[in-house]
Formats: sequence, structure tokens, C-alpha cells
Amino acid sequence: MKKRPEESLELLAIGVDHQSATVELREKVAYSQSQAEELLSTLVATPEIDEACLVSTCNRTELYLWPHSNDEGAYRVGLERVFLNRAPEIEEEGRFFVKRGELAARHLMEVASGLQSMVLGEPEILGQVKQANGFAEAAGATGVVIKKLLRTAISTGGRARSETAIGHGAVSFGYAVVDLARNIFQSLENQTVLMVGAGEMSRSVARSLTERGTGRLLVANRSRQRAEEFQEIFPRAEIIDFDDRYDALALADIGVASTGAKEPILHGPGVEQAMKKRSSRLLLLADLGVPRNIAPGVGDVENVFLQDIDSLENLISRNLKKRREEVPRVEEMLERELGRFVEWQRARNAEPVIARLQKKAENLRRSELDAIRDRFPEENQEDLERLTRSLIRKLLHHPSRQLRSADTETADLVAGLFQLNKDDDKA
Amino acid sequence: MDTSIRIATAILPLLYAVTTTAYALVFFRDDQRARGWTFPMVIGTLIFHFGYLILLTVRWSQFPVATVSQALSAVAFAVALVYIFVERMGREPSTGFWMLAPATIFEILSALMRTDNPPDNELFHSPLFAAHTGLALLGYAAFVIAAGYGFLFLRLYHELKLRRFSLFFDRLPPLEVLERMMIGALSAGFTGLMGAVIFGSIWAFQTYDEPWQTDPKIIGTLSILLFYGVSLMMRRMNRWHGRQMAIAALTGVAAIMFSMIAVNLFFTELHDFF
Repeated sequence: MKKRPEESLELLAIGVDHQSATVELREKVAYSQSQAEELLSTLVATPEIDEACLVSTCNRTELYLWPHSNDEGAYRVGLERVFLNRAPEIEEEGRFFVKRGELAARHLMEVASGLQSMVLGEPEILGQVKQANGFAEAAGATGVVIKKLLRTAISTGGRARSETAIGHGAVSFGYAVVDLARNIFQSLENQTVLMVGAGEMSRSVARSLTERGTGRLLVANRSRQRAEEFQEIFPRAEIIDFDDRYDALALADIGVASTGAKEPILHGPGVEQAMKKRSSRLLLLADLGVPRNIAPGVGDVENVFLQDIDSLENLISRNLKKRREEVPRVEEMLERELGRFVEWQRARNAEPVIARLQKKAENLRRSELDAIRDRFPEENQEDLERLTRSLIRKLLHHPSRQLRSADTETADLVAGLFQLNKDDDKA
Repeated sequence: MDTSIRIATAILPLLYAVTTTAYALVFFRDDQRARGWTFPMVIGTLIFHFGYLILLTVRWSQFPVATVSQALSAVAFAVALVYIFVERMGREPSTGFWMLAPATIFEILSALMRTDNPPDNELFHSPLFAAHTGLALLGYAAFVIAAGYGFLFLRLYHELKLRRFSLFFDRLPPLEVLERMMIGALSAGFTGLMGAVIFGSIWAFQTYDEPWQTDPKIIGTLSILLFYGVSLMMRRMNRWHGRQMAIAALTGVAAIMFSMIAVNLFFTELHDFF
């Protein structure tokens, strides 16, 4: 067990993220689970660092440290072992950030709440912070401070998502289609999806829909080879001949067209014919092609809801605007949680000073009592003990409480005022 | 008992207003806490209201529709009762504001128009008349609720068609759920009105000597019943879909309004009880 020095300590955050570094740099300092665990074990084995955790995602790699002492040792070790070992240019180009104390804690809370994300309020980051907590615990790198920090950040992130609309509304094309489908169908389960086109955009939308439990997945593409490539990614996809796309539309509840065709590939009369075979079922059509893949007249067909790239973009920018409007509410919540964390940390920092103050008072009480003990009869000895103990307890009660919420300077002032130093611990 | 009735008359509009406010918070603010309160609140209000109607029935020994105030309160109760049935069917409280706001207005008007001594009309003592009126109230309330869902369905349908996304897009349940709730309300309304016609016919046979079947109000009611019956049949046969059913629900309520106001004013005195 390393012995903690006397100076008050500060939390430390060192990191690179999408705002400070390019994707090439971020890739260099990205850590897998096993790499992160190994790294954290070696970090806490150094004399400079007591506790550590690492949040590593495609958009950020951030190291949170609770140093053994507040000298620059922990900072240098952390920076070199996590970042400079892999990408020395990070320091030369100043592509990283360092935050200390309250700012470091606030940063992790903002990360967990999605305020620091590339797409404001995106949901994955909270899970990634939870994972980081798991990795740090598995590596035996967490102690009282980092555990408390992670718990606070995770709970703040959870509350931000459940109590505000920071994560509401789709902000990608895939989820915009899901959002629209949710406004039409009672459940996405068992809804048949037809993908016309098998490119990157189709795959992204198909992924969003299948993640939500949609039923049959049909794919129609001019090139059979591309359709088969699509099928390799989505093994349950059924390949439909491109010329049979209208027949497939009669089976589908959600149709997504995303091809490079120069002319529309779905026209009003064909869709109208397909709708006649569907009894009263509603049909959502999403046209992600530019130029458009679905003739605009299709939107006039009864029970067909046609959305094009413009309407999806409008929906996304509207949702982003609403998320931005939620930022002050999240910040307000974050401020309260941060306040509690800082107060907890201050109380924790003040504990050694309080303990020494109490010990000093107790020693003083004993020595003074010993000096006069003989002057009192035996039967009064117990009362004398009780009286002096009570005096000390009452005198120190209020200062101790104040110290628990006081800043480091005040604690230092008290330590100086009463000449409380580490020698008192040995007494 | 009179004091209890007076106190309940004052409390009821407040209960409706508070419940409707909770539903408004769900719709306009997406308030998750309010979402959890809505169902217990509306059930509490309904139980209190039911107790109030029983109190009126016991106090005056007659079905509590003897004054405009009592009738409005019964309508408010019927609307809230049908709404809660439809809400449970769709498992969706986000539309409650739109359905309970009219009930609140009816209840406020009822409290404002309250009279201490309602007329003692022998008509209101008849159990057959009570069954006829009670079922008619439930039936019409269900049609009003169905029209409300019809309006919300058309609103969302057109937003999706025109690719304009407002608060309705964010808050309303999906079209399929709105349609299911609308059809549920239409079916309840049809059943209620059918029951009202059956009980009313038996009661009229016993009460009136002169022919009453050609009364414009009766013809109007039967036409409305036929219209709703045909609409429901068309839906069952998959000939009409959500949009047509929504238009039918709104048209039906317009026809009911016409039947109630115009026919009562200009053509008949058979259903003029106040």
C-alpha cells in the first residue's frame, strides 16, 4: 500500500477527442478492452498514480487519474504511457487537453450526458462510460475517488437521458426512418422491409431497422452481386429480382430506395397497383437517392407516406435543434451533481486535518488532565473525564463540520493555525 | 345530503381540471412523472363523479338528467368513462388532454348552472327511460371521442403526407393505434346507441299512444345509427381505411349535432325534456 503524502490532491483528466484531434490521431490512441485493462494495471502500479480509468471510443480517448501526489509526476506518466507512446505528435501539435479538479470531473459528466459527443445527446457514450468503469474495476485500478467519479458521471448521464429530451428524436437517416415508421405502425416487429438498392446507405438504414426488430427483409438491386454482398451482412435478407420490385412492395410495410439511378425507379401507377393488393395496410416509403429514386407523384397515393432526403434532413435538424434547447436543463442537472461530488471530495480531503485536530485536542486534554488529576478525589475522576471530553467534542463540532465543506486553502489555514502536521499522526 | 352535493359540485370541476392538466403536461411537455399520475387521477375522478351521480339519484329519487346542469355532468362522466376505456385499449395516455378537455368544460358549465331544486318529472323515475338515456349518453360520448381520434388521426396523417413535423408528430401514438382507438370508440358508441334505441322503443311503446316512429328526432337517430353501422361494416370488409373512418367519425358527430340542435329546435318536441 502506497503511503499518501500530505499535500491536497486534484483529479486529473488527459484526453484527445473529436474536437482536439483528427481521426488518424484518435485511431492511434484507441484502446481495446484488454489493452485498456493492461494499461490501467501498469499505471496504478507506478508510484505516481493511485487510481485510474480510461474511456476509449472512436471519438475520444480520455484518461482520468487520481494521483499519488499533486506534482506533475502523475500527469507525465499518464501522458507518456497512454498517449505519447503511441502518438508522440500529439504533444508537439498540442492535440490533447488537460483538465484538473472540478473541471476534470465536470468533463466526464458532460461526456456521459452526451454534451461532448459529436452528435449531441447520442446514446452510445453512456454505455461506453459504463464499460470504462467495468474495465477499470477489472484492472483493479479504481479506488474511492475514481469509483465515486464514475458512479456520479453514470448516474448524471442516465438522468440526463431520462429526465430531459437530450437524447430524443432521430439524428441519423437510419433512425429518422425508424422514427417515421414508429409514427405509422403500432409495432416495428414483424413489419416487412423492402430495400431497393444495396449500397452503404441502404445497409445503414437496414441496420437501424433490423436493430428495432423488424420482420422480413427483402432486397432488390440491379446488380445481383451487390445484393449478395448485402445478404452477407444481413444473412436473413431475401434477394428479390429488381424487375419484381412492385410485387415485393405489395408485401412490404416499409420501403427504402437508395440507388444511384438517374431516373426514378418507383412510379405512381406501379405503386398504386401494389397498394391494391395490400388491403388497408399503410406503406412508408423513404427515398434516400439523389436524384430522387421515387417519383414525387407516389406521395399522392392513398395510404402511402413518401419521405425524401429533404424531409428526412428536416426531421434530423429539427431534432438536433430540440436537443440543443435541452442543453441548459442538462447543465443545470450536471451542476447539482458536480456540486455534490465536489462537496464529497472536500469532506474527504478535510478528513486528515479534522482527525489531526481532534487528536491534538485529545492529547492536550489528556496532558492537562493528568497534570491536575491528583487534586481531585477518586469518585470525581469519571465526571472529570466526561466533562473534558464533552468540552472538546462541543468545541470541535462546528469547526469540523465547516472544514468538511471548506476548500483546500481553508483546510491548510486551519492546519497552520493549530500547527497540525504529519508528526501528529505518529503521536 | 344537500351540503355534500354542493361540496361535490364544487370539487368535481377541480378534479377534472387537475386531471386534464396532468394530461396536458404529458402531451405538451412529455412529462414522465405526469404520465404516471394520469391513470390513477382519471380513475379517482371517475369514482368521485360516479358517487356524485349516485348521490343525486338518491337525493331526488330520479335519474340525474332532470336539469341542464345534471345532464351536462352526466355527459362529462360518459365522455371520461368512454375515454378511459379507449385509453386502456390503446395503452396510450398522450391523447387524454384532447378527450378530457371537453369533459372538463362540461363539468365546469354544470357547476355554474347548478340549481338547488330540480323539477320532479315522472319521466325521470322510469328505469326504462334511465336505461335509454344512460346508453344514449354513453353512445354519443363514444362518438364524440371517436371524432376526437378521427381529428388526431387526420392531423398526423396529413403531417406525414405533407412532411411537416409538429408537436403532434412527436407526441401522438402511431396512426395504427389512433385508428384502433377510434374504431374502439365507434364500436362502443354504436353498441350504446343501439341499446338506447331498443330501450327507448320499449319505453315509447309503453308511454305514447300516438305514433312516435315518424318523429324527426327518431328518424335522425336511426339514420345516424345506420351511418355508423355501415361505416363499421365497410371497415370490417376492408373497403374503408383509417382516413375514411376518421372522416366518417367526424361526419357522424356533425350529424349528431345537427340532429340535437336543428331537429330539436325546429321539428320536434318529443325529446324536449327540460
